[in-house]
Amino acid sequence: MSDIAPMFPNEKPEHPYLKQSYGGKIFGNFASLFCGGCGYGIIGQIFTRVFEDEKLDPKLHPTIIGIGCYSQILLLVHEASQKVLALHGRAPAVATGMKMANPRMKPIIFSGDGDCLGIGGNHFIHICRRNVDCLIMIFNNSIYAMTGGQGAPTTLYGAKSTTTPYTMFENRSDGVKLALAAGAPYVARTTVAHPRTLMKYFRKALKHKGTSVIEIITPCVTYFGRKNLDSLGAEYLGGKGEKMDTGGRMIDWIKRNSVRINQAKFMTEEELFNKYVIGEFRYEPKPEYSGEYAKIQKIAMGGK
Amino acid sequence: MNSNNGKRFLPEGKHLLMGNVAMAEGAISAGLKFFGGYPITPSTEAIEHIAKRLPEVGGCCMQMEDELASINAVIGASLVGAKSMTATSGPGLSLMTETISMAANLEIPFVFCDVQRVGPGSAGPVTDPHHNDIGLIRFAGHGEFQVIALAPMNCQELFDLTITAFNFAETYRCPVFIMSDAYLGHLHEVVNIPPKEEILKRVIKRELPEDVTARVYSYKDRETGEYIIPKAPIMGTDYCPGIFLHMPHGPEGLPTPKPLEFMEMMIEKIKSNINKISMVDKHKLADAEIVIIAYGLPVRTSYRAVEIARNEGIKVGLLRLITVWPFPDDIVKEAVKDAKVIIVPELNYTGVIAEQIERVKKPTTPIIKIGKVGEFHHPDDILKVIREVAK
Repeated sequence: MSDIAPMFPNEKPEHPYLKQSYGGKIFGNFASLFCGGCGYGIIGQIFTRVFEDEKLDPKLHPTIIGIGCYSQILLLVHEASQKVLALHGRAPAVATGMKMANPRMKPIIFSGDGDCLGIGGNHFIHICRRNVDCLIMIFNNSIYAMTGGQGAPTTLYGAKSTTTPYTMFENRSDGVKLALAAGAPYVARTTVAHPRTLMKYFRKALKHKGTSVIEIITPCVTYFGRKNLDSLGAEYLGGKGEKMDTGGRMIDWIKRNSVRINQAKFMTEEELFNKYVIGEFRYEPKPEYSGEYAKIQKIAMGGK
Repeated sequence: MNSNNGKRFLPEGKHLLMGNVAMAEGAISAGLKFFGGYPITPSTEAIEHIAKRLPEVGGCCMQMEDELASINAVIGASLVGAKSMTATSGPGLSLMTETISMAANLEIPFVFCDVQRVGPGSAGPVTDPHHNDIGLIRFAGHGEFQVIALAPMNCQELFDLTITAFNFAETYRCPVFIMSDAYLGHLHEVVNIPPKEEILKRVIKRELPEDVTARVYSYKDRETGEYIIPKAPIMGTDYCPGIFLHMPHGPEGLPTPKPLEFMEMMIEKIKSNINKISMVDKHKLADAEIVIIAYGLPVRTSYRAVEIARNEGIKVGLLRLITVWPFPDDIVKEAVKDAKVIIVPELNYTGVIAEQIERVKKPTTPIIKIGKVGEFHHPDDILKVIREVAK
């Protein structure tokens, strides 16, 4: 049992972060709205922890949340953070407007794989290209979970979903490669099975001035795990898998299916097929958009 | 961002300005701080001019990747307290409608300049006018809400009404549209710029209320039944509802599970203030037997037609709608009460406003539509009809 939100009051430990979580503040032993085995609780807890430990100013770190299962995360994360629920896929555009109207802000965008790589792909590319100072977290559960398990742009080859009942045959989209190609200066990928790494990347991204993209692989037991076998991503072994119908099995699968970037260098294409490469892909700070625009304003105002 | 180095206002006096530029200057005078746009004929001159002018006053003009991004950036900027606007044409408007609904839901103020062109579709004579979006913007998007739409008829009004539009957006917290069109946007006319003190007196500023813990969303006063519209919330200050920022809210200004109450509040907060919002010009209406009702460009020809017809001794008057939405039911009803014939020259085929007039006029009064698309009415077009019905 996680100690941030225990199920029963008699189990309730005095946890410093529980008081800061919005749900915890209001409901006391509020667990979460997510299904059993979902990874968003972990992300919500990590967000609250980092928010509290780093003493972030909630007024300067607005949270812009896209549409997906994680929209409910606004009930779990730090209560002081100012949140806005954007339209499906448009969170990066809203963040751009906020940042440019108040350049002291550093928006934090919660986005999903369908939100950021599907419907909002264009906005994602262009926020990375412009290098607007913000932090984009892409929660990748390989499925459209909120609407009931339809295929996503990130669904693995050979996986089953309600709109691909005979297995997925499309090539999957890779958020990290897209961000790298679009020119984001800080790009990393990790999983909820590696929470300390996620915290490390989160802290680094907060200190970095520019667009930071962190893709987080999270499990969806209800709509992805129950339909798929854990042999996904290990096709080259030729074995028969088991259904991933519990949170534990999915976390196990995520751990087995993710490869560190330094190991991935020595692996073949075939071995990396359907695998998640995790690690830091790029950290090259470069001039940030609002800073550059301030120079333009200076020129326009007649200064030098 | 708040630097005011005297470049915000054009020098007092007469200037020869293009319509789109006059609109842009009006916006900058009103305190525009963020413009998100995407080039589209015939509104392109607006973003071109603002890109040059807005950095001078410490604002930000961004050419976004598409219309969806530009309107969402406008919403984002408005959420953190910058007066913001966008300008586009029909195809852009249809892309933006989803976000307009969101803005109406959250009561985010912003101004929208729609330079209408011939539609539907994105091909065709795109530099010709067509008042086709006037129907779309009535409920611009999914869900029900009320917008305010103003229809200028010359470059001077594009300047003045843009300032009014920003004031309406700040006061009523709903999407406010300026319904320009391709001819008007590209028209060069003399614009009389008032002294800056006069403009400043008119402009309603975006600022925090005295009590930052007050309710953020519009609500119905329990005792008087009036709708109270507080100042728009500003993210990054204490005057922000935090988690409730995205939720539909009812007549108490708090999240509600009853959509009907929410819709009622959304629409009635504007409709109950219709007397303050409705602007009309009643031209020789007192003894008129033939009433012309027009808005936007056809008003110019209608004025001329009325003048000639009056010289011929025909009793004709003109009701000019400056505020098109919300439709001023009572004013129109009063104006057409004794009319024998109503003539509605419109720059569209369907006659969107004619349909609205049909709703409020007496069932026996005939209504004659003069539809034109992609071209101007000649005064003779209207005169011909006037002479025919006066026989």
